[in-house]
Amino acid sequence: MALSILERFAGRADVPVYLAVGENGLPRAEALSLRAGLRPVASPRAAAILVVAGTPRPEDRHDLARLHDQTGRPRATLWWGALRSFDHGSFVDGEADPLPALRGLWTELVSKQREDEPDLLPDVPPNPWRGIGPNGQGGKGMMGGTPYGRPMAMTDADPRDGLELDAYTAEFGPFLPMFPPGLVLNLTLQGDIIAKAEVARPAMPQPEAAWSGRAMAARVVALLGLSAAAARLRAGGMPALRAAGALGALRGLAPDAEGRDLRERLGRWLEAPDAPVTELPSAPLPALLHGLEWQEAMLTINSFAPPRLTGQATETAAESAA
Amino acid sequence: MNFFLALLGVLSFALVGVYLAAVFDRLIARSISGPAQSGGSGIARAGVLVAPLAEAAALMSRVKTDTEAPDRANWMLTPAWYLALAAAGLSVIPFAEGVALTRIDTGLVFWGAVEALTVVVIFLHGWSPNSPMPLIGAYRYAGIGLPIMLPSMFVLIAAAMPAESLSLVKVVESQREVWNIVRQPIGLPLFMLVGLTITLRGPFDYADGAELAGGTKAESAGPARAAWELARLAMLVSFSTMAATAFLGGPLGPGLPGPLWLVLKTLAVMAATQFAGQWFARIPPSQALFLLWVVILPLSFLDLLVVGLVIL
Repeated sequence: MALSILERFAGRADVPVYLAVGENGLPRAEALSLRAGLRPVASPRAAAILVVAGTPRPEDRHDLARLHDQTGRPRATLWWGALRSFDHGSFVDGEADPLPALRGLWTELVSKQREDEPDLLPDVPPNPWRGIGPNGQGGKGMMGGTPYGRPMAMTDADPRDGLELDAYTAEFGPFLPMFPPGLVLNLTLQGDIIAKAEVARPAMPQPEAAWSGRAMAARVVALLGLSAAAARLRAGGMPALRAAGALGALRGLAPDAEGRDLRERLGRWLEAPDAPVTELPSAPLPALLHGLEWQEAMLTINSFAPPRLTGQATETAAESAA
Repeated sequence: MNFFLALLGVLSFALVGVYLAAVFDRLIARSISGPAQSGGSGIARAGVLVAPLAEAAALMSRVKTDTEAPDRANWMLTPAWYLALAAAGLSVIPFAEGVALTRIDTGLVFWGAVEALTVVVIFLHGWSPNSPMPLIGAYRYAGIGLPIMLPSMFVLIAAAMPAESLSLVKVVESQREVWNIVRQPIGLPLFMLVGLTITLRGPFDYADGAELAGGTKAESAGPARAAWELARLAMLVSFSTMAATAFLGGPLGPGLPGPLWLVLKTLAVMAATQFAGQWFARIPPSQALFLLWVVILPLSFLDLLVVGLVIL
């Protein structure tokens, strides 16, 4: 009895979905997020359904499988105009409305009529144990071993104010909600400061509409904690950004090649919200991110259309390789 | 007997407050974003009054997930500690003139401890899952948490000075003639910044923000996530009650019974805090640190100075 009441209430909730965007899927994924009846969540853990909007590149398949395994349980996958890269889940055409299918999957999950999708990858550490000694430190002094592929934390020269912190290096992307879809960065962090950034994979191609002034502004605004204002922008409205202090927050950030900061650029985007954003960054992405705090870095990444951003970055990577 | 009645009253107040806070959040979001686009025909959807219950049920119907080598005990306990701190804060509030669950002479100091421990609990919540996004949120929050505690103490001391006591019962009594919001008009807005910080809201949500994919709660699923959200809303109720008591005269007021006055004032502070949380942008942390140390802190000291001079 109690259980059925829980199920009945849960069945009426907005479906928590995680949007994994592949090639050309970004505009429709962002349009879907405005619809009543579902709630896009920022972390796969909080989702019940993994929505794959557009086909990811072959090199992203392993990451997609990992994302699938991180999705909350019981889980389901919906391929929305995307080629399947694993067997589980249902398929909806890219032109079709996925909402009825999502609601159907949710009802089945809540009432346990649908079987939970099992993990795709073995539940083992991503790297072998290479620690020395019982606790992994071993070697000379404290820092010899690399247990599970992660070197023991060592302080590193600080890029900003001289306070030395442990450096942490990891790969971020390609389905991180605050990154353009497909972008993979190798980041070395000290606390929340980016000490080093390398582009491992550029962003996936998207239709021009994904880089319109309105779409770009909505992403920047969402990163300032203004999700409702971002939704209003996406729906075609114009929220009061100046009164919210959103413009002031962007002062001095992410200058483009002509020296205009993000505050000025956002104002320009909103004057012509349907025109694509074409500004060029003032430096290649790694140099642009160096020394920035995490939120500033995310704002910077989202303030340039990825073709301009990673186009430059891959060139630089090629140059440094040569 | 009276104690249990009071306990029951405070508990139901907290529960109703949490529910109303969840409803307010949705109403405010809708007023800023405009109505959501239709789900299409045949899409059943919960209205704004049922939506919080539906979402809670949805979370409870899911399974808790695990990460690689988390600090399990701390991860599991942090939502409970957060909730306990909110409850502890509520326990020292006088709900009617001279009546509080815990009548201690140092209620304001006790609340200060609740605030400080909240920073510790939120840090632990980000530390324990052993995952980068929560950890970044945790460290960042600790950096913001310290400077925000200082103005909080200054404005609360300014509220204690006219009462010549740290007891909340006496702080309420000292507002019989004139409320503290009149004595120190900037005290309440400054205290609301603290409220936004300890309830992880909008402009001061440096732990659980969108740029960190949910920050300290990024790895939480199902019941663990539900508990965290519940505790966050309970802390909002606790904070709003404290603000209504310290600045708006608590249960004092003409005509209506004292507890009702307190409830009305609490809901007003709560709605204002929630609105500010969704209306104002979160500035990058380096700018926020500048604002806190260089603008807010001197402002709160000035607030204390003015109240002191007026009393003299």
